[in-house]
Amino acid sequence: MIDWVAFAIVAIVTWIAAMLIVTAYSFGVRLLAVARDEGKSTGLSKTGAYACFTVAGLIVAFGVVLIVPQLSEAILGMSSSH
Amino acid sequence: MDLTLIVVLVIALALFFDFTNGFHDTANAMATPIATGAISPKKAVALAAILNLVGAFLSTEVAKTISGGIINEDPSTGVAIGPAMIFAGLMGAVIWNLLTWLLGLPSSSSHALFGGLVGAAIVGAGVASVNYGVLLSKVLLPALCAPVIAGVSAYLCTKLAYAITKRQNGASPKRGGFRYGQIFSSSLVALSHGTNDAQKTMGIITLTLVASGLQDSGSGVHLWVVTACALAIALGTYTGGWRIIQTMGSGLTDVKPAQGFAAEVSTASAILASSHLGFALSTTQVASGSVIGSGLGRKGGEVRWGTAGRIALGWLFTLPAAAIVGGLAAWIVHFGTPGLVIVTILGVGAMLTIWFASRKQSHGSDGTMSDIDNSGAAVNILTKKQRRAKAKAEAAQAKLVATQKDADNS
Repeated sequence: MIDWVAFAIVAIVTWIAAMLIVTAYSFGVRLLAVARDEGKSTGLSKTGAYACFTVAGLIVAFGVVLIVPQLSEAILGMSSSH
Repeated sequence: MDLTLIVVLVIALALFFDFTNGFHDTANAMATPIATGAISPKKAVALAAILNLVGAFLSTEVAKTISGGIINEDPSTGVAIGPAMIFAGLMGAVIWNLLTWLLGLPSSSSHALFGGLVGAAIVGAGVASVNYGVLLSKVLLPALCAPVIAGVSAYLCTKLAYAITKRQNGASPKRGGFRYGQIFSSSLVALSHGTNDAQKTMGIITLTLVASGLQDSGSGVHLWVVTACALAIALGTYTGGWRIIQTMGSGLTDVKPAQGFAAEVSTASAILASSHLGFALSTTQVASGSVIGSGLGRKGGEVRWGTAGRIALGWLFTLPAAAIVGGLAAWIVHFGTPGLVIVTILGVGAMLTIWFASRKQSHGSDGTMSDIDNSGAAVNILTKKQRRAKAKAEAAQAKLVATQKDADNS
């Protein structure tokens, strides 16, 4: 009757998605802080920071694509119905 | 009374409910980035409105849960309850919401909606008209699980964010960078709000259309219903903004950018995942779970169980209380057209009374910006000095116990 698997899915998806996004963004913040301290050769740290922010954004975008049926069919070629 | 007139009444009331929902919840999404100065209030409110509008179009799973699951279908007549009963349930929810808002009680507009509907269905069509299995698995259990899931997530994410950004040799971690992240995480919360809360009204309108024979049962949500609900919630969100701007700076909980970012990402993830599986959540409850979880994730975070318990009690109370009001309204509607007229007059009268009362009080009951702030108060974050004092006291206590043990042994 009660679909416990659905609860497990919500929990696991929430934890993994949130932690991935926060990890990526945190590394971005850290690299930016490093870049500001270094003085010279800040280019690498800065590029790394923006790469991290991009990764965080991509994870979010992927999540939205998975949720919207039209988008997941168009981009991933599969139905998102569970 | 004419059937189509009742249907129009229900749709109007449902859209009003949707509007108040957006109005009430703007602060939930946008309070922190405004408070930390990451974004100007006007921009934040406009952004939240647009994202609510977009979110409403993203998914219709929650609407399907409400239109096709909670109320049992009668094999011969379609839905077991008529539009008049849905009207009664909706009126119960609206009155309960306004009342708790006026009294400043923690409440959930979503649970008020389900409570009102269930109460009206039980009174109007008997105990068997409600599908308790769906009610339990898609409304009640998610209400318990989702805030916990979001809270655990926020706790872990806050720990992670602080651990990753911690620097050696006392270099500044510059965690202010999370402030800009908060613009995006708050936007995600607004988006997820649209995917869950706007759906509830769509579900009610679709249920009404099915119940009055204007739409086949089992068919999806019409596009005009989606559009109307999306616009209503976006408009409500936008108008709710003035309240934020007015109460800025009063009673805001101490939320740091890194912590706020972790909490918001957790809230949005939990709501979006739940919306996808058709769980009808209270977004306020999920966001509160995240705020408490992230507070605990910070160094020296402690739960004030008294405050947390009071909030939880208010939530538990919402569904049965709204069910009683909805049931009462359904009982009056039972007497036919005069009953319907009486409920309409009573409902509009209650709305106007509460509106005027709230004007006179001028934010007396509405001192904090949102329910989330109230939940934030459930976490006590100790300062460095307090933490040191506490550790000292604990060490002294442990020493005392140890010496006592030694004395007992010898």
